[in-house]
Amino acid sequence: MSSGVHTQSGPNGGGSQTPPPRKGPRDPRSARPGSFPGAFPIGPAISFLRRFRAGLDSGRELPAALGEAGGALPRELREALDRMVRRLAGDYQEDEWGFDEEFADALLPFLEFLYDSWWRVETVGARNVPSHGRALLVANHAGILPWDATMISVGLVREHPLPRYPRFLVLDWAFQLPYISVAMRKLGGVVASPYNALRLLEQDELVAVFPEGVKGAGKPFKERYRLQRFGRGGFVELALRTGSPIVPVGVVGSEEIYPKIGEAPPLARLIGAPYFPLTPTFPLLGPLGVIPLPSRWRIQFGEPIDTVRFGPDAAEDRSFVFELSEQVRESIQQLVYEGLVERGSAFL
Amino acid sequence: VASRRVLITGVGSFLGTEIARRLETDPDIDYLAGLDDRPPRARLERMDFIEADIRNPVISKLIPQAEVDTIVHNKIVRRPGPGMSSRSAHDINVIGSLQLLAACEKADTLSSIVVRGSAGVYGSEPAAPQFFTEEMARRYPLRTRFQRDVAEIENYFDTFSRRHPRVVCTMLRYQPSIGPSLDSQVTRYLAQPLVPTYLGFDPRLQFVHEADAVDALVAAIKNPVRGPVNVAGPGTIGLTRLVRLAGKPTLPLPPGVFPTVVDAGRRLGLDSISPDFRRLLRFGRAVDTARLVDEVGYEPRHTTVEAVEDYVRTQRGRRLMPVFREAVAR
Repeated sequence: MSSGVHTQSGPNGGGSQTPPPRKGPRDPRSARPGSFPGAFPIGPAISFLRRFRAGLDSGRELPAALGEAGGALPRELREALDRMVRRLAGDYQEDEWGFDEEFADALLPFLEFLYDSWWRVETVGARNVPSHGRALLVANHAGILPWDATMISVGLVREHPLPRYPRFLVLDWAFQLPYISVAMRKLGGVVASPYNALRLLEQDELVAVFPEGVKGAGKPFKERYRLQRFGRGGFVELALRTGSPIVPVGVVGSEEIYPKIGEAPPLARLIGAPYFPLTPTFPLLGPLGVIPLPSRWRIQFGEPIDTVRFGPDAAEDRSFVFELSEQVRESIQQLVYEGLVERGSAFL
Repeated sequence: VASRRVLITGVGSFLGTEIARRLETDPDIDYLAGLDDRPPRARLERMDFIEADIRNPVISKLIPQAEVDTIVHNKIVRRPGPGMSSRSAHDINVIGSLQLLAACEKADTLSSIVVRGSAGVYGSEPAAPQFFTEEMARRYPLRTRFQRDVAEIENYFDTFSRRHPRVVCTMLRYQPSIGPSLDSQVTRYLAQPLVPTYLGFDPRLQFVHEADAVDALVAAIKNPVRGPVNVAGPGTIGLTRLVRLAGKPTLPLPPGVFPTVVDAGRRLGLDSISPDFRRLLRFGRAVDTARLVDEVGYEPRHTTVEAVEDYVRTQRGRRLMPVFREAVAR
């Protein structure tokens, strides 16, 4: 997992060979200005432009001049430039779902900034997630936009001894939207369909689901820590049929990022959205209202529930599926309550 | 089944001619006939060319005379070519299939029908599963004329095979083909100097290599399977990556103005884009090919990405990016 370009261009760039040490949420390092992804190396940029102009003046073609001037840049930037040019030539890999690991890695510095500095996430029990083979992460869902899915990903990448990116099932409405649909796919999102989940599990992937679905993402602020009904327990059927262990995940903190105080159903109908949230800042402040509030987060992975011992036929047993689904819901609710106590104050 | 007698409709198309050429060299095929209103693209030694319009009822007399045991229905128009109205494309697709089936009713020697249909029957939907399996047809409303045509054709052949249980009817659902020597909607789209795309969309597309398109059909003739079978190269490719590999600049257009601009472009000599292909460019589509591999027993030799790479290798167009890249790598 290469950790982006910009994180190493700060003052701590000397130790670039060792992976960045795991940071706790209260680590003072996260507040250091150099680790902010916006730091821009001005010196190399000037020498790059000088060499670029000199190259053009001596009568070279544009691409050749650019390439030679690239020598003036620090290694990370040169690699970034090379990667960009390579991607523009179509030379990059996406899997059959459109997941683009290179893209996800490149976005990691930004997500890590959110993880460390903005939401000060604390991840507990990442070792409960199997390192190999299929597994189903089942998490609570809140906060309108799927930031909780991205933070679960970062939490795993940072805290798991053998990290891998989870794939997550996303409400199909998102795939009608420009840009959002592209970003979702590149980061490992797929249309929330049992066929997709089944295929991913059969490919031995780590799949994250949010059985609360829209009901969870759009729950009113006063019910923010109460889990909604878990649909028809479809995720349990999938786990049973594929013999995937179920890992309950409790996320605390996503409830506060967009405190939903109301809804505007006519607007939702107008744009075809499942609901149109009203928060203290949205749509009042326009695009600024999309910036999530900096609550403090805690993500806790629970003990995995083995499903192999029930056998695939158990998926047909309605009452058993409901029972297991309710059991998973209970344990996530428990993780959320525990997390609330551990986390303490929501914003400080 | 030692010796086979085969008739192909639509032998004048590129893939029709290629299939005929392949079957000619096959020792298991005793007799080969080709039916079309235009001659095959290449000289074929053994094939009997029957010049007839598939919409003409006269084929009910001609086809039984050939005494074939297998009919390959390849006369399905995916996109009306130059000088063909969409109305007559629809006629060829629907009336042509009906006339062919009327002829099949009279052909007592018939034991199997293989149709080169289209995966267009699944449509192109943002909320669809990433990979359609054969049972998932008609989960969404039929949105374009071609889609309705394909659904109707599938209905006719379904009804026929229910009426005649001894005839095995294979409905091959092809994804769009791509390849070095093929002239298809995809290759024409990529051959334009400027490639229009939907702003903010990067759909997952899936293609079948031209060689696999021919071989899968031959495999289906040899091993007829009842019902629909998806035909595609495994895997998918993003539209952005496809266009970048082809080395073409894109013209991203907001969905609202896409039809207007593309229609204006057609008057300026750019390629027209059919309504089906437009939806494909926005939402994409992929199918699951397990049935082709497991039941027909044909394993495509090219994945979707390999098929695209094979196509790109033979194209010489504006290739700015590779030059640029070599310069930077130095």
